[in-house]
Amino acid sequence: MSMHAVKDGAVQMSDHENRVARELSKAQRKIFALNSILVFYLGFLVYYLDLYLNDTKTPTAWILWTMAGASLVAGFIFTFYEGSIGQLIIYRVNRFLKQNVRINEKTRAAKFSKILGGVLIFLTFWLGWLMTGVDIPSLVSADGLQGAQRIFMALLQPNLEIVGVVCSEMIETIFIGFMATALSIPIAFVASFFCAKNLVAGSPLGESFYVVLRFIFNFTRSVEPLIWAIVFSVWVGIGPFAGMLALMLHSIASLVKLYSEQIESIERGPIEAIEATGAGRIQTVWYAVVPQIVLPYLAFTIFRWDINIRMATIIGLVGGGGVGTLLMQYQGLARWSEVGTIVIIIAIVVWAMDWISAKLREAIY
Amino acid sequence: MKAEALTPEERSEVALNHIEIKNISKVYDNGVHALRNVSFNIQKGEFLGVIGLSGSGKSTLLRCLNRLIEPTSGKVLFNNQDITHISHREMREVRKKIGMIFQHFNLIKRKSVLTNVISGKLGHMPTLWSLLERFSEADRKEAIEHLATVGLAEKANIRADELSGGQQQRVAIARSLMQNPEILLADEPVASLDPATSHSVMRYLEFANKKLGKTIVCNLHFLSLVRQYTTRVVALKGGEVVFEGSSKEIDKEWFRRIYGEEATEVEVH
Repeated sequence: MSMHAVKDGAVQMSDHENRVARELSKAQRKIFALNSILVFYLGFLVYYLDLYLNDTKTPTAWILWTMAGASLVAGFIFTFYEGSIGQLIIYRVNRFLKQNVRINEKTRAAKFSKILGGVLIFLTFWLGWLMTGVDIPSLVSADGLQGAQRIFMALLQPNLEIVGVVCSEMIETIFIGFMATALSIPIAFVASFFCAKNLVAGSPLGESFYVVLRFIFNFTRSVEPLIWAIVFSVWVGIGPFAGMLALMLHSIASLVKLYSEQIESIERGPIEAIEATGAGRIQTVWYAVVPQIVLPYLAFTIFRWDINIRMATIIGLVGGGGVGTLLMQYQGLARWSEVGTIVIIIAIVVWAMDWISAKLREAIY
Repeated sequence: MKAEALTPEERSEVALNHIEIKNISKVYDNGVHALRNVSFNIQKGEFLGVIGLSGSGKSTLLRCLNRLIEPTSGKVLFNNQDITHISHREMREVRKKIGMIFQHFNLIKRKSVLTNVISGKLGHMPTLWSLLERFSEADRKEAIEHLATVGLAEKANIRADELSGGQQQRVAIARSLMQNPEILLADEPVASLDPATSHSVMRYLEFANKKLGKTIVCNLHFLSLVRQYTTRVVALKGGEVVFEGSSKEIDKEWFRRIYGEEATEVEVH
């Protein structure tokens, strides 16, 4: 018995040592890459600061290329010093190394790295300040303040004659949001089962669906609905349909993510129990998965509906129909009283929707 | 291999073996060696206890028998049929004959007790029909009968999560009886119950074994329960079988070997 334990222990030790060695060599490459990138970034910051301070915005390509080459060399040399900035970062971020490897942070390189980190943060902020053209004087100049006053005064004197038109456009907006949500539910519902890792695991067909669908939805989600609205307004023409399609596409992608994450966090037990009775895959999903997810799904959907109505007003700005389009027209004519009316009505509706959706979600849980 | 006629003794031995486990090993993806070359037989009609420390491979072993977990190597024979190398569809047919109950009951919490019991029969129903949850009168009657067997007939229409732990485990037993299984696998069925409730659940398993003739394989923590209810014991340590025999044979010496030098026995009365 005791011999066995020793043998087991020995196997585990060498397993552990192997793992440490493997992680270290992997980390070495990352440290090199990170050192090079950060050295390059330092050069980039200094160069761009120089450009912006001299009011030119076009960098010279060969200077950047030379800097990139030099950074690779510098980053490579830096990697040999214990306490290089890349090492300090990688060893803190990688949980395994953090727990199993100790590094000396008292070396000269480590002190240099910490100063370098501070310098990088400071320079980044400085360059950002220059790039966004932060200009406090114009914010408080007499001229500027007068313009602001003009707009705010007009906004505070809404033109009540157009309330009827605005309301009917608002209703259109609400329905755009509603349709986008309603049409996205069945598609997202079905797709979410294929996007949940715990459900597709073990079936090659399911796993390939998983990879393809994940990619499509991640891409769709990362493109803002505003941009989708531009795409669809060219595709199907300006109007509520384009806005609805844009919101629907984005809703599907977002709901699939929320839904499938919900599926991934369900209890495994009931699935095992139903599988053990000899039930098929579809039966298992229906009996063991669906009862665990209906309520969170409902809550997510109501939340999404709320978001979609708010988004629908914005979508209108680029020709997605509804009250947003109206807002855009009056803004183009600089008729601020009418704009003020629309803004007030939008605010009331969004606040009401927010409240209703919060109450509904409360009632569900 | 040369085919040879079996002698009568061999034939009766084959017939008695309900499940044969042959050199089963399981290595998980994370490198954990859960089972190492485990072999033993489970006989028809016995109440087999499986004991060992947490992490000794008991749960993995049980799940290899109905392939909720795929063994890495080795094979399992069920009624002389190799079930480790059959398709998912064929495996479903085998699973219909093997019921299982779990430490955490694993009922569908938001559904009624009756639906939970009937779900034991899903494997026998056509998929589309079962999704509508319209069960036949015969199935309902049968489910009520099994609920009566575990003393919960009047709870049929209550939501499963409104029952106490012991009651939920009895519903789980009724669900597995609904399958009309030949074998019942029980994975630490009383580990999350208090001692008094534990005995009630164990007695229903005993009833299924003695009166209904089901073979039972039960993972257990408490030796007192093992001695009282099981007819034979297999002990696992570090994924290997270290003891196989009558539960009466486990004395202090064996107890230390199975559970380690530091262990002292705790009893459930």
